[in-house]
Amino acid sequence: MDPSEVEFLAEKELVKIIPNFSLDKIYLIGGDLGPFNPGLPVDVPLWLALNFKQRQKCRIIPPDWMDVEKLEEIRELEKREEAFTPVPSPYYMELTKLLLNHASDNIPKADEIRTLVKDIWDTRIAKLRLSADSFISQQEAHAKLDNLTLMEINTIREFLLDSLNCMYKLRSNLQPGSSGRTFTDF
Amino acid sequence: MDAQSYHPVPPGVGTEENFLSLDDILLSHQRLPVRTECAFPRLGFLDRSSDSEDLPEGTKMELPLWLSKGLYERKRRVLSVKLPNVYREGWRTVFTADPNVVNLHKMGPYYYGLGSQMLHFDSPENTDIAQTLLQTFIGRFRRVMDCSQNAYNEDTSSLLERLDCLEKALFQAGQSGLNGFQSWEKGRASQLTASSLVLNYRKRKMADVED
Repeated sequence: MDPSEVEFLAEKELVKIIPNFSLDKIYLIGGDLGPFNPGLPVDVPLWLALNFKQRQKCRIIPPDWMDVEKLEEIRELEKREEAFTPVPSPYYMELTKLLLNHASDNIPKADEIRTLVKDIWDTRIAKLRLSADSFISQQEAHAKLDNLTLMEINTIREFLLDSLNCMYKLRSNLQPGSSGRTFTDF
Repeated sequence: MDAQSYHPVPPGVGTEENFLSLDDILLSHQRLPVRTECAFPRLGFLDRSSDSEDLPEGTKMELPLWLSKGLYERKRRVLSVKLPNVYREGWRTVFTADPNVVNLHKMGPYYYGLGSQMLHFDSPENTDIAQTLLQTFIGRFRRVMDCSQNAYNEDTSSLLERLDCLEKALFQAGQSGLNGFQSWEKGRASQLTASSLVLNYRKRKMADVED
């Protein structure tokens, strides 16, 4: 899976916007999007919010968790815990990148937020690598990891699956001749 | 949306080789020290050092893996294969002590592949060899993972030169995951770039032809 595909899935998340135009309710295949009145907040999917913002038709309100104190708390909790802590949003990395690229004027202290989210990301990735290493070195059959987001899984997926395949190949050597040896005829 | 337009056939599983895999074909060219158990009439040219027309019984020479596998049979004793040094007792203790120290590329670039194939030849040390292969892989896994996930936009040749071919493939997989994420974060993932196939083909442009 590409990171772009994960970003595409993340764009379905709802965010609050304040439009500066008025429009009746629109009926889309995915659902209805409620009437737009200037100055009144309304929930829309992220892809629509970014589109309106680029045409300067709305103001995006940052989600609750995108706040310096809350992110600092989450970062400290992440550093203390050995397991993965619950994330503020299953797509926190993508939301941060998209909102900070397109709507940084609507978000207070954008640079600090970017640094904090990057710290949280680095801590989680380090925990992920540690648990992958212990998974392989103890030759476990399966592992359970809670609270992982799709983006984190995506970065390690190809490598981990290939390594597990190699381990399977080497482990099947230990079972002597279970499939019966067939030599090719020359 | 992978950048590759075709997927190469991966090497085979365990003691079986994949017929169409290029890695397995190259692997089967590795030479093994063998000792003939019966005479080979008129095949003296196989052994460079002998002058006679026949190969007498008990000649020691080197044959490639594909030939040794084909000629080896438990019942009719045609060949006996000696284990290469890397899989013997001495080196096995080195690997159990610290797998990260060894330069696997110098020891034969197909350490894991050849080791798996050696298990065909019914040596009494088979279980030990298989165990050592597995433990070496597990021991070196951490190093490969750290190198591949942390070396972004650097020259990785010094890291790669100590790795066996299997580990190199893993390294590439890790690198591609890392590069994909980094280019997405920079926003370069949505930019259109020329395909690597086109760049490599280096088609002559009309302007060059008209000169």
